[in-house]
Amino acid sequence: MPLLEVRRVSKSFEGFQALSDVSLAVEEGSLYALMGPNGAGKTTLFNVITGRYTLDAGRVLFANQDISHTPTHRIIHYGIGVSFQRAIPFPSMTVLENVALAVLALDRKTRNFAHPLLSYADAAERAEEIISWVGLDDLKRQLTAALPQGDLKRVDIAIALASKPRLLLLDEPLAGLSRAERAQMVGFIRELLRSLGTTLLFTEHDTEAVLQLAGRIMVLHRGSVLAEGTPNEIRSHPQVQEAFLGREA
Amino acid sequence: MRTKLAVAAVVLAVFPWFLHDYGLQVAIQALVLGVFAMSFNLLFRNTGLLSFGHAACFGAAGYTTALLVSKLRWSFAATLPLALVAAALVALVIGFFSVRLTKIYFTMLTLAFSQMLWAVAHKWYGFTGGDNGITGLLPPGLLGNPKGLYYASLVALVLVSGIIYIVRRSPAGYTLRAVRDNPARAEAIGISAFEYMVAAFVLSGTLSGLAGFLHVAWQHSAFPDLLYWTTSAEVIIAVILGGSAEFFGPAIGAVVLVVLEAVVRSHTQYWPLALGMVLLAMVLFFPSGVISLFQRRQREEVPRAAA
Repeated sequence: MPLLEVRRVSKSFEGFQALSDVSLAVEEGSLYALMGPNGAGKTTLFNVITGRYTLDAGRVLFANQDISHTPTHRIIHYGIGVSFQRAIPFPSMTVLENVALAVLALDRKTRNFAHPLLSYADAAERAEEIISWVGLDDLKRQLTAALPQGDLKRVDIAIALASKPRLLLLDEPLAGLSRAERAQMVGFIRELLRSLGTTLLFTEHDTEAVLQLAGRIMVLHRGSVLAEGTPNEIRSHPQVQEAFLGREA
Repeated sequence: MRTKLAVAAVVLAVFPWFLHDYGLQVAIQALVLGVFAMSFNLLFRNTGLLSFGHAACFGAAGYTTALLVSKLRWSFAATLPLALVAAALVALVIGFFSVRLTKIYFTMLTLAFSQMLWAVAHKWYGFTGGDNGITGLLPPGLLGNPKGLYYASLVALVLVSGIIYIVRRSPAGYTLRAVRDNPARAEAIGISAFEYMVAAFVLSGTLSGLAGFLHVAWQHSAFPDLLYWTTSAEVIIAVILGGSAEFFGPAIGAVVLVVLEAVVRSHTQYWPLALGMVLLAMVLFFPSGVISLFQRRQREEVPRAAA
């Protein structure tokens, strides 16, 4: 039984068909990638899964529960975390505060108006662990507003990990990173699956990185599924070759 | 910071003994506006929501006190709890309907609510006295004596500042700023913004009610002006003058505004012209408030997420 199942989902905006009849299944413990040009529907699909957009048709199941109409702020309590394409966490806070807040939000302890955030020792401790895990120990007291994009992506992923997700949605984790940062991030994503067992669903423009990383790939084109399969199947898929891998074929 | 605070506390504590009666009146006015501005900024600073309706909370508390004293002969101080409850209820209603809206729509709706309350106070002669207001409210004891009222207002300012300081550091305070900084990110970690924003509005409105109560004690009267949009504008101007990003910015802005008005008015009748020029200069040259004139250190900005 897959961890995440999207069944025949459609979504349109004022006549523009952003997704039509898209289905996918992500097995627990796998790396699943969504590919396609801008406007293919990758981010729309993310937003459908996280409840940001309501569905026109179809269902979204997570661990066998129907989450099709769950509001975004509850999604995390099912175990779905998100890291955004343009990682701008909470810039007015330090890295530690960013992550500690996410820990407290998961535990539903944010309603308190009286005690200092960092006086929640458990939360602060867990936040520190996660921050070391993503390798930002030296920066934990820095305001995130001052950090470069590469570090911000890590902060954003640390925030997502604070919510202990079973499934992590990563929207273009490599976008805006330098070559060296990309290589690091690819290793980091592998490590997420290997040592934390986090299932990953990600979108990415960088075809080579996707073919390297993903266990399965879906190629979207104008809101529809163009191809779906293992990296080898995708590599040799005629329509995909024509549309995206032209140069390499 | 501690030393600065200690110096400020000592200065403020001995200050009234060096003032003429008029000076003391100006000082009280500045403190009351300071309480109001700090309370207003609790909402503005932490949520980014610019309320143009805080006069409603300020005035609701003021009128509650005035009505209880004039109609039911309550003692002045005894009206404070109900005055705060009235401010809280008004804030709850306005907040509940307004915080869902963003930016200008939020601002306009808060303005509309407060103008409705103003219209009621202005026209309901039988109950509120209409534009004749409610006058002759002489608070007995401490609140009736200018020095006593000065110290009461000072205590209120300290109290409100303390509450704001505590809230700012709490998980709820961080949650509010998380929603302000990046609403999509906040939702994704499990935060539902609505209830926090309503709570912040209610707290901000209730504390504004404390200022409204003090204002009535100071003026010995309540007029529809308390609820008029110009009262909301005045508090916003104080916050702009002082700088919303600094903790005591709003209080300092209130002092600057009130003292400036007193000085300008004693020389000319063109106070609004002078105010306009000062505001223009502030917005163009010192957008982070007068406090930025005294310090180089850059505090956290109010960044907005683009995603």
